[in-house]
Order: sequence, then C-alpha cells, then structure tokens
Amino acid sequence: MPSPTTPIPVPSSAPIPAPLDVAADLLALLGDTRTEPRADDQLEALSLAVAADLPVLLWGEPGIGKTAALTRLAEELDLPLTTVIASVHEPTDFSGLPVLGDDPAVRGVAMAPPDWAVRLVREGRGLLFLDELSTAPPAVQAALLRLVLERRVGALTLPPGVRIVAAANPRASAADGWELSAPLANRFVHLRWTHEHDVVVRGLGGTWPRATLPRLDPLRLPEAVDRARRAVCGLLGARPALVHRLPGDETRRGGPWPSPRSWDMTLRLIAFATVAGSSREVLSALVRGTVGDGPGFELLAWLDRMDLPDPEDLLADPAAAVLPERGDRRQAALEGVVAAVRERPARDRWDAAWALLARAAETGPPDLVVVPATTLAALRRDGWDVPADIERLAGTVALSRRAVRPAATAGGRR
Amino acid sequence: MKAPAAPPVPAAQALDHDKLYTARLYAVRVRPYLATALFALRVVPTRAVPTMGVDRHWRMYVSPAFVDRTPMRELAGVWVHEVAHLLRDHHGRGDRLARDLGSVGDGAAERLRVNIAGDFEINDDIYGEGLPRPAGALRPETLDLAPGLLMEDYLRAVRITPRTADMAWLDCGSGADGHDRPWELGPDGADGLTPQEREAVVFRVAQGIKGSPGTAPEGWKRWAEQVCHPTQPWRDLLGAALRSAVSSSGAGGDYTYRRPARRAASLPGVVLPGLRRTPPHVAVVVDTSGSVSDTELGSALLEVTALTDALGGRRDLVTVVACDATAHAARRLCADAEIPLVGGGGTDLRAGFARALRLTPRPDALVVFTDGQTPWPEHAPSCRTVVGLFPRPSRTDQDDEEDDRLWRPPAWARVVEIG
Repeated sequence: MPSPTTPIPVPSSAPIPAPLDVAADLLALLGDTRTEPRADDQLEALSLAVAADLPVLLWGEPGIGKTAALTRLAEELDLPLTTVIASVHEPTDFSGLPVLGDDPAVRGVAMAPPDWAVRLVREGRGLLFLDELSTAPPAVQAALLRLVLERRVGALTLPPGVRIVAAANPRASAADGWELSAPLANRFVHLRWTHEHDVVVRGLGGTWPRATLPRLDPLRLPEAVDRARRAVCGLLGARPALVHRLPGDETRRGGPWPSPRSWDMTLRLIAFATVAGSSREVLSALVRGTVGDGPGFELLAWLDRMDLPDPEDLLADPAAAVLPERGDRRQAALEGVVAAVRERPARDRWDAAWALLARAAETGPPDLVVVPATTLAALRRDGWDVPADIERLAGTVALSRRAVRPAATAGGRR
Repeated sequence: MKAPAAPPVPAAQALDHDKLYTARLYAVRVRPYLATALFALRVVPTRAVPTMGVDRHWRMYVSPAFVDRTPMRELAGVWVHEVAHLLRDHHGRGDRLARDLGSVGDGAAERLRVNIAGDFEINDDIYGEGLPRPAGALRPETLDLAPGLLMEDYLRAVRITPRTADMAWLDCGSGADGHDRPWELGPDGADGLTPQEREAVVFRVAQGIKGSPGTAPEGWKRWAEQVCHPTQPWRDLLGAALRSAVSSSGAGGDYTYRRPARRAASLPGVVLPGLRRTPPHVAVVVDTSGSVSDTELGSALLEVTALTDALGGRRDLVTVVACDATAHAARRLCADAEIPLVGGGGTDLRAGFARALRLTPRPDALVVFTDGQTPWPEHAPSCRTVVGLFPRPSRTDQDDEEDDRLWRPPAWARVVEIG
C-alpha cells in the first residue's frame, strides 16, 4: 500500500500490465495451433486395440508424445482420460491399502482403493493410461499388472466401460531395464510408438495432425467374424507349429509370441480391422504386436492368399474373370487355377483354364503365364482336343522359346 | 494394365515389351527363388532414366533405348540386379547410413558411392549360372576388395576418385541408395507397393530360399536367414541376460513388508510397505588364458561395468577374478583403477568359479568371459550364471563323448555369443 503523501506516477498511455499477464498472452499465442487431417496408422492401430478391449502396451522412447496421442484418442472416443504415472506410486496404490478395522480376525482386512479408481467406478467409463510402467519398482509393476489383466484395484472391480492402456520404455532406453516375463508379455498387444520426423517439424511450426479414427461399420459384423475365423483357423490348420511357440532367445522374451491365447486376441483384432476397413499397415502392426513378427507375417501372407479370387469362381466364368493387377499376385491366382484343374480334371474345366490364361496373357505381362501354361499342358488327357484359345497364347509361347537357356552358357562363368 | 503416368514415349522409341518380359522369364528360370519378387515389379517406360532403375515402391523405370541395345540375357542380369537392390533394402540402409554419418555435402558423389557399394554387395554372387556378367558390371575386385562383404563395409572403402567416376555403370535409382530421382513417381504415384506389401514380398522370398536352399548361393542364404531371424547385437543379449540374472535374486530397489514404511507412523491402522534398496553384487570371472585377446576382454568388461551402473549397482560391487589354470586375486572395480588381468597359461575356469563363489558378500550374479576352451564345473553354482562366449572355430579333436560334455558350456548357464 503506498502512503498518501507519495503520489502514484500515473502512466500517460495505457496501464502497464502485470508481467504475468504478458506471459499468459505469449503462452496463449504459442498454444494457438491449427490441426490438419492426416492418416495416422499408429493411432488407428491403438484405437482399434482399445475398441477391441484388449490390454495394450505401448513401447516408446520417453518424450515422443505418447501422452499427447492418448489425449487425442480419449477426445475421439469421448472418454474421460485418467493418467497414472506408475513410477511415482507405491504398490499399495494399486493393490489397495490394507486398513485394519476394529476386528480384523472376524471382518477381514479391507483393501481400500485410491481415489482415482473410485472416481472411475463412479463414472462407469473412461480411459485409464498407466505411464512409465518400466521405471517403476518390481512390486509396483506386479500390482499394476494385476490391475491391467484382472481389472481389479484393491476390492474394486473396474466396470467394462473402462479401457486400459499401459506404456513402457524399451529396454535400450530405460536405465534399469525391465524384463517382462513371457506369460505376461503374451497377454498384451504390443505396439511400437515412434515419432515421425516431418509430423514433429510441422507440428512445432504450428500445425499438428488430427487423426480421423476408424468408424466401425455395423453392417459388416457377421462377414468380419467369418473372415477372421477363416484366416486364423486356415493358417493354424496348415501350420500346426505356429499354435504355441515360446520365445527362444533372450531379447525376444519380453515381446509378443504365439499361443492359443494370443491367437484368440489376433482373431478379435482381425475382425475389428475388417469392420473398420483398416489398411494393411494397421493390421500388420496389430497382428505382429500380438503373435510376434514371424507368425504375424505368415498370417498376413495367408490373408493375402485369401484375398485372391477363388479359382472355382474364375473357372466358372473365364470371360468375366477379374485377375489381380500385381504381377506376383496374378501369378499366384493362375497357379491356383491350374492346381484346381489338377485336383478335379475335366474337359470343360481344362478349357476354361486355357481361356483364363489367354485372358491373362492379353491383359498383362505375358511372361507370368508361361509356368502355369506349361503345367496345364501337362495335365492333358487322351482324347482332349487342343482348345482354340491356345492360339491367343502364341506370343507367350514365342517368348518362352526365346528365354530358353542355351546349353553353352549353362556352366556359367565365374 | 493401367497406363503409368510417366513421360510419354513416342512410337519410334516405344519399349520392346516382348524383349523385356522375355528377359524376366529367363531370369525366373535361372533364379527361381526370386520369382515372386521379379513378378512383383511394375514396369514404367520412361526416357528420363539412363538405363534401368528402381524406386523404393517397387516400380522399375526402363529406358526403351537401353532395352534395344542390350542382349536379352544381360537384361535378365539387370532384372536380377535391380530386384536384389530392393530385397536387400539398400534404400533403407542408405538412408540410415546418411543419418548416421551426417549428410555429406556433395549429394551426387555420396549417392554414387552408396550405389557402388550396393552394387559390390550384389554383384559378387549373382552372375554366372546362366546369367552372363554385363560388360560394365562392378565387382569388388575392381577396387581390390574382398567379395562377400556388405554394403556398409564396402562404403567405407569406396572413395570417389577419377577411377570411380566412370564406374557409374547403372543409375539404379532411389531403390539402390534412397535418394529420389526426378523421373520417379513418388509415394503417391500409381501402382506402388505399400510398405507392408513390400515387407510381405521380401518375407515370402526369404522363406522360399530357406525352405529349399538347394539352388541359392551362399550370400542369398545368409540374407534369408537374416530376414527371418534378425541377429541381435551381443550387447543387448548380454544386457538382457545380466539383467534377468541380477533381478531374479531380488537385488535392486523394491518395496517390502519386512520393514514398515516411515510414513506409517502418520497413518495408524494402515500397513504400508517400505522401499529398500539392495544393490546387486556381480562377480566377473575373466578367462586370461593365452587364447583370449585383450581387446575382446576390454570390450566385454566395459559392457559389464556399464550394465551394473544401469542396474543401480555401484562399481565397487563388481568383483573381477582373473583366471587361467588357477584363479588369481579377486579385485574390486574402482572408478579409475586398472584391472590387473594376470595370466596367460592354459585354461581351467573351475578354479575361477570356486573363487568367485567364496566371495563375501555372495554375488547375486556370475558373469564368465571365455573362449570356451575350458572344462566347466559339474554342478550349477548357487547364483545365476551368464557366459559370454568369444567365437572360436569348433574343436575337431574332440571325439570322446565324455570329454565333449565337459567342454561344452553347461545348460544351467545363459550363453551369449560375443562379437
């Protein structure tokens, strides 16, 4: 308070604002960023896994925006976000505080839950983000994993409307590296979180990406379940070794590996990705994060094969057949047709296959027709005439003749 | 086929599709294991490209004039060469190299170096067996380098000199070095393969080679093995093994109910656990026999020290036992003291084990560095054991089964191959 004898200097112009007000204005100006729509495969994969109600574990270096991504996801899903940083908590915060009542022998010891859990249960829905899982002491991690996998905090059970995402730093960047045991690793969908250089640069320049999350299409549900079941059952029927395989070496121990449980999770994720119409990149991240890289690749290759046109459909109507554009897939489709003819040889099927090959030779590169045509010619039975369609393959035959290895160079020069 | 959005080619300069596809069919016949990858390439005729080049989206840009003047079998060789660039991920590796080394000022020269190094890696084993070597094809022998190395190794050796200036045999495009070219359609152009599709093609080719390795040369078999089971750096493996060995014994910081927390006084009626720290004790047994070099030992010891630091341990809790045929003194590691690694005779690590286990306090984990030319203890020691094994050619004079069992690292130890 200035005394009345000293006059207060009155500024001639506008009043001088308090320093913190200027700072607040500057902060507001810095925070004034625009957003632009941009496809984000990572976020899409995460949102699908969250929608499928599977426990997700994000692996990412510190400070690359995992929390920011979760905030965006919570906004999109319209769920209140609760962030719990694991490394600053004690195990009792997750397993409940043992409160001794007046007669513990009779009433037992109540495990009192922390306030955030009570709030989540009262809300009935929400997104719970457990950050820095890997830097917490082991006892805290054990208590947390019980929360993630059993959805229990002390005596409380979290309602089904609460979705849980955990985040950990990869061993390489975490000082006191954390070993996830194989049984636990098997229960998670592991998603690698990386930053994209140009996104960060554009964002710091004032334009952050805004991901449009997949919408689930209610009309495709039965078809999606059927497709997911066919894919997983088909692959595991053909490759029994993939059903259960413990990780062998040291560094893969904390990663995803195939087991009946994780295949079940994979099936669920394929169905969700199909309903959402997600791209192959998203599905690849999800599948490989659930059963591991090798089995994941095999499953994706199997899905590719399932997406090829059915040989029987092609043989039924060769004139209207639509063959895949890409060379290697087109060749696989033609090989499938020839294999179908070999399984049930019949005159009309044989002719239809020739018509298909002729069509393929006319609508695309002729060289990939050669091997199927050679195989098909060998399937000929006595009494089958050469079909008229074979004329249309003349160019291919000539090409095949020119590509024969000369005997002289067969030895090869080293 | 959709018309690709490339510069139009006049009729006089039209691409001889027949010859190009004949060459591809020939390439498939002599290199059946590459069929999937060869068929997955999309041909884009353009006059902007000097010869033939690929981009990272598996499009192949072809100059019609080049197809006209090149014999069919040499064209097949170029097909295989370009597809090898893509399968071996030279664009991704080129990007990584550029990032690690920092972009060197002269882009064109750097690009040429990466392309040449990549060509060396490919050309040392793709020709022959029906594919004639094209006239200008680069081989590592031209620069007096050994065949069978990787692009990264060759890149260190390739310097742009007047002698290399005329080595620009093919401009293989961005698929070979990761630098975009003006004629390329880019990621949004027609008919490119998405990253996931590219990975799937690579994986299928690798599986094919692994499934029937009969015809593929050694270099391709190595590549396929690498794609299916990427090798892990030994430092990560050693770190993982040591971490799990130490943490299994309950070392490190953790909560325990053995002592009440200090905060418990203010919360009557609530039982709280207290946080205790038990830093890990690590004993390192070092094989100082004549057959292990000091460089090997130095790098391994550094690694153990760094790991122990990271585990929340202290340097003075790492004890090193030097051991050849007898165990020498056990020394504590200190901040800047030298570890006297005495020894140099024959090897019997059993003495080293016994010495390390007699230490007080008892070690939480035991790390052994050796080349494996030693007998091992009969029984598992009382703590987790990690064996860092320096690679040596396998012993051939071990016929005796009893003897052989003695010389193999035991099953109770986690073995990490180093180097």
